[in-house]
Amino acid sequence: MKTIEINHITKDYGGRRGVFDLSFQVNQGEVLGFLGPNGAGKTTTIRQLMGYIKPDSGSVSILGKDCFAHAAEIQSSLGYLPGEIAFMDSMNGMEFIRFVAKMKRMKDLGRAPELMEQFELDASGKLKKMSKGMKQKIGIVCAFMQDPDILILDEPTSGLDPLMQNRFVDLILSEKKRGKTILMSSHIFEEIEKTCDRAAIIRAGELVAVDSMEKLCSGKRKELQITFAEEQMAAAYVQAFDKAECAAANKRTVVMKVGKELDAAIKQAGNYTVTDMDIHTQSLEDFFLHFYGGDE
Amino acid sequence: MMNLTLYKREWKANWVMLVIFMGVLTMYATMIVSMFDPEMGDSLKVMAESMPEVFAAFGMADVGQTLLEFVTGYLYGILLTAFPAVYIIILANRLVAKYVDNGSMVYLLSGPQKRAQIVRTQAVFMVTSLVVMLVYVMGVIWMTSELLFPKELEMEGFLRVNAGLFGLWILLGGVCFLCSCIWNESKTAIGISSAVVVYSLLVQMISQVGDKFENLKYATPMTLFSVDGLIANESEAWIMCAVMYGAGVLCFVVGVSVFKKKNLPI
Repeated sequence: MKTIEINHITKDYGGRRGVFDLSFQVNQGEVLGFLGPNGAGKTTTIRQLMGYIKPDSGSVSILGKDCFAHAAEIQSSLGYLPGEIAFMDSMNGMEFIRFVAKMKRMKDLGRAPELMEQFELDASGKLKKMSKGMKQKIGIVCAFMQDPDILILDEPTSGLDPLMQNRFVDLILSEKKRGKTILMSSHIFEEIEKTCDRAAIIRAGELVAVDSMEKLCSGKRKELQITFAEEQMAAAYVQAFDKAECAAANKRTVVMKVGKELDAAIKQAGNYTVTDMDIHTQSLEDFFLHFYGGDE
Repeated sequence: MMNLTLYKREWKANWVMLVIFMGVLTMYATMIVSMFDPEMGDSLKVMAESMPEVFAAFGMADVGQTLLEFVTGYLYGILLTAFPAVYIIILANRLVAKYVDNGSMVYLLSGPQKRAQIVRTQAVFMVTSLVVMLVYVMGVIWMTSELLFPKELEMEGFLRVNAGLFGLWILLGGVCFLCSCIWNESKTAIGISSAVVVYSLLVQMISQVGDKFENLKYATPMTLFSVDGLIANESEAWIMCAVMYGAGVLCFVVGVSVFKKKNLPI
């Protein structure tokens, strides 16, 4: 069953900003990554799912209900983490969480205490004085505390330190096991790679691809940089492995861009003495470039 | 109909501001009432004669002899319209546009309540807080009068004038609330609603100065609040009063329906 359906929506803000004829679905129990560089239209799409804005044309529905007309009904089975979090500044964190729980008509704080422990959140301070990371944690608590069936998360890990980013990934994975449907936007590929079944990629408001993570990852390249003990080794390696070339700065170092050939590259390097190795993962921009270019 | 959680939260967030405005109004109200002196002659009147234009601009030109005329003349001309207007402008912005501007509207809409329900709650809050202000100010004036000049204040006329004053507040409240519902940015909402209010007050002041500008009174909604007419219980004054209530309520209703349908950049 399609839990979230986006059908040919267009929302034109002029100057090529907005989304254009965008369509994709999120199936029941699936985690879908929503990738794109900044300004690609991720948030514009999510606002339409939340019923905050109406598409110029096309339709969006959640659980078969129109997102704008039935926004209030949909909310009861939905958890939302906005991309730009803002609270009522005069409250402290705990007051705010209690307030949101009441607005959501929850009898108690639901999973909030458990989540606060998981993210090591002390919510007693004034919201105005909280750091970006603290606010993000409060946003996460508010999105998950009702234990909703559907989660829409707009750049959920922004502002979190690496430890907390990992905790967040764990949280998503455990929610996935519990059968939640999740749409999660990001401009960081790794985050999506670790958690999602499929990903939709958009650029300049248009859909580039929707596919399983495996398929998308097969197009992904890493830049490998290996430094050998001697120059001859590097030369020999370049001869044996045609993707590699000598680095300009250092004759003992070879660089190469590898995808599926990673195994071969490493095994080949095993024949020589390796003194250093660096792996750079492609940025999303590079990834897109590669994606359009097909096989280089 | 409305959301009690949000209503309570608004009281918690705005009571300090309400108290401050009520404090300022207390000061003015007690001061003016205590200046009334039926035997010694009107000391303010002497002052008024020395600078007639200034007093005329503030609607204090022909202040009568009774305590009611004195109080309404000096208080209801400008003090009880301009100060509450400032309160109304700030509050209207806080109730809707500010939430949209900073994005926290997300959390007001995060429950199963419809947009209309949320924004209706905000309208109800504004009206009830104005009721509190009105009842308080009336209480202060009445008590000060009874304390200093027992049985001097003609109660029925006093109530009539206040019915009109509240109509004016509802009208201003409605206009500012509508602005807050229409514009997504706080500064636009505040800018436009203050422009409307300042224009209305200024034109009223100018129209009172002399015969030359008298016709300007038709260009400001403030004229709808006719203090003298309500004291005299004239039907024309009541019709204008009804127009204020009607237009005010209409603005609130339109505000709610605009908010229901608009695109929210949150």
